Amino acid sequence: MTRTTNRLSTVDGTLFKQALLGSLSWLAANQEEVNRLNVFPVPDGDTGTNMLLTLQSAVEDIKDSQASEISKIARLASHGSLMGARGNSGVILSQIFRGFARAVEGKSALNPTELAGAFEEAANAAYRAVNRPTEGTILTVAREAGRAATAAASEPDATAAGVIAAAAAGARTAVLKTPSQLQILRDAGVVDAGGFGLQLILEGMLKSIEETEAPMAPVTQPARAAQVSMELPEGGWGYCTEFLIEGSDLDLEKIRTQIESLGNSVLVVGEPELLKVHVHTDDPTRVIALAGGHGKILKLNVGDMSSQHKRILENEAGGPAAAPRANGVGLVAVVAGKGLVDIFKALGVDAIVEGGQTLNPSTQDMLRAVESVPYDKVILLPNNSNVILAAKQVAGVTSKTVHLIETHSVPQGVAAVVAFSPDRTAEENMAAMSGEAQRVQTIEVTHAVRDTRSNGLKVKKGDVIGLINEKLEFAGSDYAEVVNKALGKLGPDAYELVTVYRGAGASDEEMSSLETAIRSSYPGLEVEVQHGGQQHYPFILSVE
Amino acid sequence: MSVKRPFAVVTDSTADLPDEWRERYGIEVVPLKVLFGSETFRDRVDMTDAQFFERLAASSKLPTTSAPSPGEFAEVYGRLARDYEACISIHIGRQLSATAEAARIGAQSVEGFPVEVIDSETVTMPMAFLCKVAAESATLNEATAAVKERVPKARVLALLDTLRYLEMGGRLNKASAMIGTMLDLKPLLLVKDREIKPVERVRTRARAIPRMVEFFRGDLPVEHVAVVHAQAAGEAEEIASKLRVEMPGQEVSVGAIGCVLGTHTGPRALGVVYLKR
Repeated sequence: MTRTTNRLSTVDGTLFKQALLGSLSWLAANQEEVNRLNVFPVPDGDTGTNMLLTLQSAVEDIKDSQASEISKIARLASHGSLMGARGNSGVILSQIFRGFARAVEGKSALNPTELAGAFEEAANAAYRAVNRPTEGTILTVAREAGRAATAAASEPDATAAGVIAAAAAGARTAVLKTPSQLQILRDAGVVDAGGFGLQLILEGMLKSIEETEAPMAPVTQPARAAQVSMELPEGGWGYCTEFLIEGSDLDLEKIRTQIESLGNSVLVVGEPELLKVHVHTDDPTRVIALAGGHGKILKLNVGDMSSQHKRILENEAGGPAAAPRANGVGLVAVVAGKGLVDIFKALGVDAIVEGGQTLNPSTQDMLRAVESVPYDKVILLPNNSNVILAAKQVAGVTSKTVHLIETHSVPQGVAAVVAFSPDRTAEENMAAMSGEAQRVQTIEVTHAVRDTRSNGLKVKKGDVIGLINEKLEFAGSDYAEVVNKALGKLGPDAYELVTVYRGAGASDEEMSSLETAIRSSYPGLEVEVQHGGQQHYPFILSVE
Repeated sequence: MSVKRPFAVVTDSTADLPDEWRERYGIEVVPLKVLFGSETFRDRVDMTDAQFFERLAASSKLPTTSAPSPGEFAEVYGRLARDYEACISIHIGRQLSATAEAARIGAQSVEGFPVEVIDSETVTMPMAFLCKVAAESATLNEATAAVKERVPKARVLALLDTLRYLEMGGRLNKASAMIGTMLDLKPLLLVKDREIKPVERVRTRARAIPRMVEFFRGDLPVEHVAVVHAQAAGEAEEIASKLRVEMPGQEVSVGAIGCVLGTHTGPRALGVVYLKR
């Protein structure tokens, strides 16, 4: 009994490691909850998945360590999370770990006051890492958790478990307040996803530590979290399974519910005649058997996920014999979709990191690509807002000089690459490429994944929605209608060329009617159609 | 019998020599040929450039081009030998056409008539500038020296509306990693030092024009400047007026691209051409 009390009055490396395993389990169990909190009704930004993969990467680094010093475990977790960081929330999470690791440097165990101080320092580090910190996000939640922890640590008989409990409670309160701090959350009727993720991480720590007490406790708790944690990191992430179901009157909701019981990161979209299914599962055979009961399975693609999302496609266009570039500058782009990958390669990109809308690549994925190109200077194009923060971290973990151009969309990425010249220095190219990326306007067309209100628009699930430069501007029932409104808003007289990148989900008929509609409404615009092959967005348009 | 004049100036139709200079300096122009199937047209003799682009638009198969034969050159040199002591013959770059080689062989069959064949390493109006420099020289030696000194200074900065024509004509090194062919890019190409090199890629003509002016600015000072075009006179005038702002007081002429060069550029090509100082 005495020993247990001692142990819980301080946190050493062993306990911290166990706490993080608890976090991982709890976050994994609630991943879809977090994913559902996306503000924009677009099928991207899987905050829960991103945070989980980031945390998983932290756990990967500590799981084999026997270190009892908390400084060592925290440093490993910081490194692991940084390498695995994906998505905005994941990157901020990695900064939280980094701040925590700095605060505990040189310490073998933390008393309650030191633990609370480390939580506070973790929040400070996260604030410092963000250019313009926004309240009502994971940052606020981290700060409030730290404050609550400090308050608890100042109590006379404070324990480490008490401090963690207070941090988790503080986080929970802060999460509930996020809609009052951010209009977009209020409009969408959700709490902040990243903040909620952090709350789950702290709760998971608490659960795991409470389980340490469990043998002493009179009631044996169901060790749900611990079981989940045993399944997760060992076997990797199973298989990314994707396919189409062709049938009639397919019940999207029912199929989604069934598939959700077999895996995570479930995405079921489409029409009653054709559904697209995406799931990360340990048992693809069962998923396919289940789906096969509803209709015909098409375009089945099962990939080992851990290798799949790290796949780097080498540029084959130039071949190994291609002459080295005179300026010694390599190009790396993050992009998904067969057509878009080909376009970027043909434009001279040396390495492609597959990812974007749903699977945000990690810092590690981008690092590999950067390391793989035969140049010491590398220009990196994230091509998606959710990838930018993770991309920013790459420069800090490689000895190469990484120049990041913060491209928010595929059209910006194409515009930047087009402006690249092998005869110019990296700096000159940066200036020219950034300038061109700024010049191009992006229209993205997709379907709302749920009812919402955003930017004064009422959107129903399934509606066609049009985003101009990432801002939801129009909703309707028809692609052509939404695109024409968006072009009208941009003011077509100021532009010359519309490039339409056709997504995997767009039919020939939809493509040609969209093209006809643009041409007849805006005869002054040149229209170029390219096969993009991107998921989720039937059409991405570049207007320049 | 009058005394022969010291030297004649000969060029070919790809120089896009303005009629005014041709008349003022008495420059001889040997036409290259455009072939639509089995029909052969001498550049700007049997067909004007306006007729050519009209036919190009209507033609399902792209035309091909051919250099003048050595015999045709021999005929011209033979005729000039009656009135001139010698001649300087300035031609389209050897990297682009066999014309200069035909001229060299043709010249061998005209005895007692020295022909200085110059590989201009370039195309379109920089060749015309070289002809003007030659015509304004007092002797063949002076002319040859003045022209040879300027050959490395010739620049053609071209904007093509599409790369299709250049590729079909085999004038573009496909290994050029700079030019992606998936997107309909508008490449800015530079003809310089016996090479056609992409200098920049842009997606729209509106973006290309300021980039051309910018590039030109970086090459100042220059001694002769023109803007050439294939059925894009309005834009050519627009560029010319911008160039005049860059170098007040210097003449910037506007000229049309002929049938042979037009076969490889396609319609709507624009070029800023000059001799660097």
